[in-house]
Amino acid sequence: MWSYIGKRIVQMFITLLLFQIATYILIDLQPGDVTDLLIGNPDITAAERARIAADLGLDGPLPSRIWTYLTNFYTGNLGVSMQQYPRPVSEILMTRLPRTFTLFMAATILSFWLGYIAGKFLAWKRGGAWEYASTITGVTLFTIFTPLLAYILLWLFARQLDSWISDTFGIDFDLPISKFNTPSLWRRAPYDTNTVFSWMNWNFFAIVMIILIALIVSNYIPRRYRPALRIGSVVLSIGGSLIWWAFISGVGLYAWDIVKHLFLPILTLTLISFGGNMLLTRTSMLETLREDYIETARAKGLPEGVIRNRHAARNAVLPVWTALVFSLSNTISGGIITETVFSWPGIGATLVQSVSVSDFAVAMGALTLIGIMTLIGHLIVDIGYVFLDPRIRIH
Amino acid sequence: MSTENVIEVKNLTMEYSTRKGNVSAVDNVSFSIKRGQALGLVGESGCGKTSIAKSLLKLLPDNAMIQQGQIVLNGKDMVPLPEEEMRKHRWSEISMVFQAAMNAFNPVYTVGDQIIEAIETHLPDVSEKDARVKIENLFRMVGLAPEMVDRYPHEYSGGMRQRAVIAMALSCDPDIIIADEPTTALDVIVQDSILKEITTLQDRLNMSMVYISHDVAVIAEVSDRVGVMYAGRMVELADTEEIFIRPIHPYTYALMQSFPSVTGPKRELVALPGEPPDLLHPPKGCRFHPRCPNRIEKCDQEQPEWKDYGDNHFCACWNPMEIN
Ligand SMILES: Nc1ncnc2c1ncn2[C@@H]1O[C@H](COP(=O)(O)OP(=O)(O)O)[C@@H](O)[C@H]1O
Ligand code: SF4
Ligand SMILES: [Mg+2]
Repeated sequence: MWSYIGKRIVQMFITLLLFQIATYILIDLQPGDVTDLLIGNPDITAAERARIAADLGLDGPLPSRIWTYLTNFYTGNLGVSMQQYPRPVSEILMTRLPRTFTLFMAATILSFWLGYIAGKFLAWKRGGAWEYASTITGVTLFTIFTPLLAYILLWLFARQLDSWISDTFGIDFDLPISKFNTPSLWRRAPYDTNTVFSWMNWNFFAIVMIILIALIVSNYIPRRYRPALRIGSVVLSIGGSLIWWAFISGVGLYAWDIVKHLFLPILTLTLISFGGNMLLTRTSMLETLREDYIETARAKGLPEGVIRNRHAARNAVLPVWTALVFSLSNTISGGIITETVFSWPGIGATLVQSVSVSDFAVAMGALTLIGIMTLIGHLIVDIGYVFLDPRIRIH
Repeated sequence: MSTENVIEVKNLTMEYSTRKGNVSAVDNVSFSIKRGQALGLVGESGCGKTSIAKSLLKLLPDNAMIQQGQIVLNGKDMVPLPEEEMRKHRWSEISMVFQAAMNAFNPVYTVGDQIIEAIETHLPDVSEKDARVKIENLFRMVGLAPEMVDRYPHEYSGGMRQRAVIAMALSCDPDIIIADEPTTALDVIVQDSILKEITTLQDRLNMSMVYISHDVAVIAEVSDRVGVMYAGRMVELADTEEIFIRPIHPYTYALMQSFPSVTGPKRELVALPGEPPDLLHPPKGCRFHPRCPNRIEKCDQEQPEWKDYGDNHFCACWNPMEIN
């Protein structure tokens, strides 16, 4: 197991290097560089621009520039932003990474879980209007142009639903459609947004870990206590966190503001991969239901729910889990678009923005970070598979 | 052997509805099995043996329908029971060893866990510890090392898996066990040892059994009584020795002829010409008539009656083999 993980990490590192080199070359192939921003400035002559480019090392041969970039990168120097000169790229990325990370994690977990539940029940109870409606919904979500989906949701939630809620209940929910916080609210806040948000992140991470550990541990305790541990870990970790934020933290109002800003981006990104996950779970579950061991489970007189969940769905999840690798790239491209549409200041929006102003170092850094996240995502899927399928466990 | 009937099947008729029409897979079949008795069901492939087995557990696909008849298990008719009720009788009273035992276990759980869940469902008062002890004993009984309880199905060989399936079928102390071609997929040597295991266990636990096979030799070895199936109907039913000495139905006779004798010297293999009919359109009258050497005029018009030939020997034929 550990040697397997070690091997995978070495592989990942090599992939990352190749990825960085390829990305560097691709960006270098783009016409123009950062000195083009100075073209309009009458005080700076063409000769001066060339001198600046030379100062920045932009005129050297490509291999030597790649070498410089990589050696700098692996000694922790990602360069400085030209647009926000002289702010270091690493600092920009580190403030924005948690936002993207949370967005991706939440959307991936939600779309996987919801797709799994929906697909499972669709395959179990076949036929009828439900099957039609959900298949059409699934295919639509799977194929829809992401920005279109984002704008539809924007219109639906932030406009239609919001005004409906305030008309009907007199509550002004005011679902925000862009950015990260409401500045007027935070002016009086005891902490800044990034601080509160980092607490929320740690909390989110803790919940995921608690549930994961409970799931693993539950396989080693007497069977009678298993459901209690599984359900208990979910209820206690989520319930406890909610109580802490609402009554103890003292910043519940501010956290709620961030949650409201997160709502539409997470929903969009969740829906992008939900359709695929649901359809795949359904197909996989229908196939599993034809297996002999399902008939055995029936013959044993196990209750319906046990046959559905413990036997059929547990096996049906395997290909869906594997397919997470593919839906990951879907999530990342969708994430970049989502962040841009909702002006969510994460890595994706940073990438788009830096490319549009030829802020080379920032773009390169953002791409590398996205590459690293993808590779880690793959690793997690692979390790998870080892836990999910005993047939590939290495003894 | 007591005289109490564990199961009584009366006039069981079951059809599959398909796009092309109804498949008459089980037609008016009756038999009963006493405690400790093993009934062998024999017949060519496609004659409805598996359909009977699955009807007994009411483990039928959606397109199957029990048209008429009773399945009286321990004095209670199972046919009208709703699924949720039926579920409680499965495994605790009637269990099954499947034809395709290779995939009878879920690959993601240990074999022990999959047996425990049956015990947990039907014997809720048995603690997990006692259940484990019980499974280990069952494993020893079927010739598996107790450590195998915690192994996954893919760590078992084909023969071991079949033994584990048998242990699983015994786990809730059923009154009757149905074995549908349990050794067909295995190689001959393993087949033989598992067959012996099954007969020994069945004797030792005084359990009733339905043993299904297309192989006359196997049936001869394990059963106390034999039912011969042809095209969805039972054509002959008698005690094992009796039916081998005195087959009455021409199909039974041909079947015996086409297999080497189990006990005596090898007989010549007489292949049965033709094939069993398509049950979408079963032949009128006696379903065997297109292949029957004894066929007389009314055979393709009237269905032969189920007649008693004495000595607990029954047969449905208009023109039986010479009885001497
Ligand atoms: N699910 C089903 N739908 C339609 N026909 C079926 C189905 N299962 C079996 N049959 C048909 O029923 C008949 C009896 O099959 P089966 O009980 O499997 O016979 P055996 O076990 O003796 O080989 C065959 O003609 C087979 O084609
Ligand atoms: S009833 Fe007629 S056709 Fe059928 S087995 Fe007897 S003799 Fe043959
Ligand atoms: Mg069969």
